[in-house]
Amino acid sequence: MHDSVRVGVYVCHCGRNIEGTIDVREVAEYAATLPGVALARDYRYMCSDPGQELIRQDIRDQDLNRVVVAACSPCLHEKTFRHVLEQAGLNPYFFQMVNIREHASWVHEDRRAATVKAKDLIRAAVRRVRLHRPLERRQVSIHPDVLVVGGGIAGIHAALTLANSGKHVYLVEREPTIGGHMAQFDKTFPTLDCAACILTPKMTAVKMHPKITLWTLSEVARVEGYVGNYQVTVRRKPRYVLEDVCIGCLECIEACVYKQAKVPDAFNVGLSKRKPVYIPFPQAVPQVVVIDPETCIEFKSGRCKKTCVEVCADRKAIDFHQQEELKTIDVGAIILATGFQVFDGRRLPYYGYGAYPNVYTALEVERLVNAAGPTAGEIVMRDGRRPRSVGIVHCVGSRDVHTNAYCSRVCCMYSLKLAHLIKERTSAEVYNFYIDIRAPGKGFEEFYNRVAEEGTYLVRGKVADVYPADHDGRLMLQVEDTLLGMVRKIPVDMVVLATGLEPQADAQQVRRLFNISCSTEGFFLERHPKLAPVSTFTEGIFLAGCCQGPKDIPDSVAQAGAAAGEALALIDAGSIELEPNTAHVLAEACSGCKTCVPMCPYQAISFNETEKKAQINEVLCKGCGTCVAACPSGSIQQNLFEDDEIFEEIAGVLEYA
Amino acid sequence: MGHPILAPVESETCQLTLENLSRFPEGSELLSCIQCGACAGTCPYGDVMDYPPRRMIAMMRAGLLEKVFASDSLLSCVACYACMAKCPRGIRLTEVLLPLMKEQTLTHLPELPAELQRALQSTLRYGNPMGEPSRKRAAWVKTAGVPIRILAEDPRPADVLWFVECYTSFYPRGQDNSRATARIFHALGIDFAILGNEEKCAGECGRLTWEPGLFETLMDYNMAVFQKYRFHRVVTSCPHAHNAFKNRYPALGFNWGLDHTTPFLAGYLAQLKPLLRRKLSYAVTYHDSCCLGRQNEFYDPPRLLLQTIPGVKLVEMVHNRVNSICCGGGGGGMWLDTYFKAKGYERLSERRVKEAVATGADVLAVSCPYEVPRFEDALKVLGHDKKMIVRDVTELLAESMEGNP
Ligand SMILES: Cc1cc2nc3c(=O)[nH]c(=O)nc-3n(C[C@H](O)[C@H](O)[C@H](O)COP(=O)(O)OP(=O)(O)OC[C@H]3O[C@@H](n4cnc5c(N)ncnc54)[C@H](O)[C@@H]3O)c2cc1C
Repeated sequence: MHDSVRVGVYVCHCGRNIEGTIDVREVAEYAATLPGVALARDYRYMCSDPGQELIRQDIRDQDLNRVVVAACSPCLHEKTFRHVLEQAGLNPYFFQMVNIREHASWVHEDRRAATVKAKDLIRAAVRRVRLHRPLERRQVSIHPDVLVVGGGIAGIHAALTLANSGKHVYLVEREPTIGGHMAQFDKTFPTLDCAACILTPKMTAVKMHPKITLWTLSEVARVEGYVGNYQVTVRRKPRYVLEDVCIGCLECIEACVYKQAKVPDAFNVGLSKRKPVYIPFPQAVPQVVVIDPETCIEFKSGRCKKTCVEVCADRKAIDFHQQEELKTIDVGAIILATGFQVFDGRRLPYYGYGAYPNVYTALEVERLVNAAGPTAGEIVMRDGRRPRSVGIVHCVGSRDVHTNAYCSRVCCMYSLKLAHLIKERTSAEVYNFYIDIRAPGKGFEEFYNRVAEEGTYLVRGKVADVYPADHDGRLMLQVEDTLLGMVRKIPVDMVVLATGLEPQADAQQVRRLFNISCSTEGFFLERHPKLAPVSTFTEGIFLAGCCQGPKDIPDSVAQAGAAAGEALALIDAGSIELEPNTAHVLAEACSGCKTCVPMCPYQAISFNETEKKAQINEVLCKGCGTCVAACPSGSIQQNLFEDDEIFEEIAGVLEYA
Repeated sequence: MGHPILAPVESETCQLTLENLSRFPEGSELLSCIQCGACAGTCPYGDVMDYPPRRMIAMMRAGLLEKVFASDSLLSCVACYACMAKCPRGIRLTEVLLPLMKEQTLTHLPELPAELQRALQSTLRYGNPMGEPSRKRAAWVKTAGVPIRILAEDPRPADVLWFVECYTSFYPRGQDNSRATARIFHALGIDFAILGNEEKCAGECGRLTWEPGLFETLMDYNMAVFQKYRFHRVVTSCPHAHNAFKNRYPALGFNWGLDHTTPFLAGYLAQLKPLLRRKLSYAVTYHDSCCLGRQNEFYDPPRLLLQTIPGVKLVEMVHNRVNSICCGGGGGGMWLDTYFKAKGYERLSERRVKEAVATGADVLAVSCPYEVPRFEDALKVLGHDKKMIVRDVTELLAESMEGNP
């Protein structure tokens, strides 16, 4: 077979990206001298149509049967070139890509050394491609249902888009209601629409939609399978109220033996109290109460008078014996929309959150200005006073290497929004202490302008210290007004911390559950920041909203639409081809030691008890190679990564030119 | 914070100076400054400085540094690490930029402030800023009431080399601290020894007031003495010395274990507890020293120790932990009081004791030998010396140990 091998090598300039650092002509001339190479060329853009055509033509005219392209990352163009081979009638796996951009030209400055390195890498590829065997892709059908995890605005929008196209959607939300953070706001920047007025219709639409199965108080417990055919196990926590029986009359709350609400209300960020039986907020979806077993007397002592059950009477909607349920569903695609958590202000003790009662977080103030909030929309402080002056501190827990180095993107705008709302409701003097105002969205600069004209004081400087100004609860903000070049001490009644957006506390667990990656700051990582912004490195799993990074509602919704579109494109194809780079057991050599079985991250390996051999399900195998490396007898091989191919590659790279 | 800086690369030929700053990571760090002003806003003298770090960096980028040196307001930098702790870009202001700038400012001054000049000269000549004869450094040992081994007399290996430092050797109220430490070490059965008259100031203040020549002389000297003896770890009563050993001495091969007395003793909490039998019915407020707190984040050990003393009630000042306000003694401030006064600057020790008094506490507890004289003096000046006393944490521990067999 080796004798008849005819390799074509193509060295891409990638504009100046490669050619600027590597002598591509010299590399191509060198490649032409390698054993088995029939021809070598360099070309400006191999991925362009003429570049591709060049390969096709050479395959036809020069009888090539192996191709090596030295260009960018295989993540970007391996598919392109394999397709070129296919078009020219060759098996697409008679191809090897060499990354001389990310691995050479972009990371080196020394032209000589980078050129030598490119030659080494190409030599290795040529040696291994000669051993490549033809491989076939496998076709599998795709399950048309979709799972959406997280019922914030992003999850809601994605679910509705998919359901409207006729797909069945499971929407899994861990709280008792959907709505996410947006449900907690009063108005939204930059248009100041009422958050509830635009959100609740979509929440109701979810509930009413015949194509959406909504599971609240639920979390994903297990994910198995692969793109197109995921089996997902969902844990449904008991609500202790029958969802299809409760009509949301709320009389049980009234009747609860707790006359006073005593439990901090999470929806109001602890600014008010609720009873053990409660509904998060009036427009919650589903409109069903929930019983919190941690505080309900019946759960604690078993001896409650159960006035709630009495008042519910014949409906019998309350069920103290409800149990946790595990449901398994089959879906073809998954959209993660698990959102964010707000930065904990206590982590910056010099801003006094938690120490001084009149220091608030922005989310708390969102609840204060909300008509359905703990103060019915009145801005009154914990000490009962209305503030006459308010200082909003920007960038709390953002743009700071001690906390989060990134910009949280929405805080400037929501701070301006809060400044407007506070001024409108209280006529207080409002100061915004900012480092830079970031207002890059549509209508944002105009909104900034408007708030400035309303007379909000904009002080450029990062607040350095917050401490009591006197004994009446007033607080001193100490800051350098960097435009005046002087340190100012400004006393205010109320301090609002514009706390940033962070990955959810359990983002790492969720990441592992779905086998995706996180970026350094802990948000879920998209496959490509520009070209695959809602895809992940795991096929069939998509991202929407703030779980991917801080963003505002318009961007969250846009991303949710994009994720729904990607999921649709996948499902509507009906079937998908799986890459053949899977592992397989050489049955005659397998000693049946089972080392590999627990190692597989995808549960693709099982043990055949009758034959006492390991077996790999090629559909589940993702080609990670773990079992290949772990097998003590070397009896697992992986397509495209067979031992002889890898050894040839290593020998090739080490054989200095 | 607090990791050794530049240590491995620094050599005679490769000194970090303002001119070559851009060749070091510390230099490109400066370029990332976003001009937020957190440094100026938090600086205890931010309102009197013509060029707080933010403006200094802006001037530097604009090539206008000469103007900065022409102002002497940078002398008010007390090296308290407050700006560095809050800089959102993590720029090592207190460790790198400010000392370099201060060095230049000092050379531009027509003459050094007299008090500072004297202290630096004395340190060079006698190894301590008070100008006390070095042969009397260990004189206090006789008053300790417990045996203290001096290595020159008995060079057997020791577990702990206790680096006593200057204020704690010469100054009477500092000696109280040393006597207390010796008694506690003794009661805990720690195998310790001191250098006695061989010891000289570790020189940390020499560095932060930027007198690099002086600092290096002291560093060479102390290292040579260390190398004569065998011991496992160095424990020092002075946070400034601790700072020098941790960040600067490793360049010369300092690789022994290191601790400051307060965190060191906190490691012996279980053994200390039964010894603390006498009830001290004090309300105590603790002042976080800059070097121990912000620079090393030893916020809990002193508080743990205080709370272990029976009867002590711990109350916090408004500015505590990372937000603590400097006593004004660092960066040479110890010897610039007269100079600052002439300039009309508020004394930071007075600002600090006002906060301490406002807590209603009886005792202001400290962990740095500079703070005792500074705060005692400030209390006197403000007429609060009847209301509040100043005690090192070790003094309080020893007081509670009294009456032990
Ligand atoms: C104080 C503040 C004010 C703001 N104001 C505005 C504004 O005026 N205008 C604007 O455009 N943007 C604003 N934003 C930004 C806005 O909140 C976000 O853009 C938006 O909420 C993102 O929606 P999301 O669905 O991605 O995430 P979220 O709203 O966080 O929703 C995520 C949902 O997923 C659920 N979930 C999380 N993990 C799991 C799990 N493992 N399993 C099941 N469910 C899970 C959560 O319970 C939640 O319901 C503001 C942000 C803050 C902090």
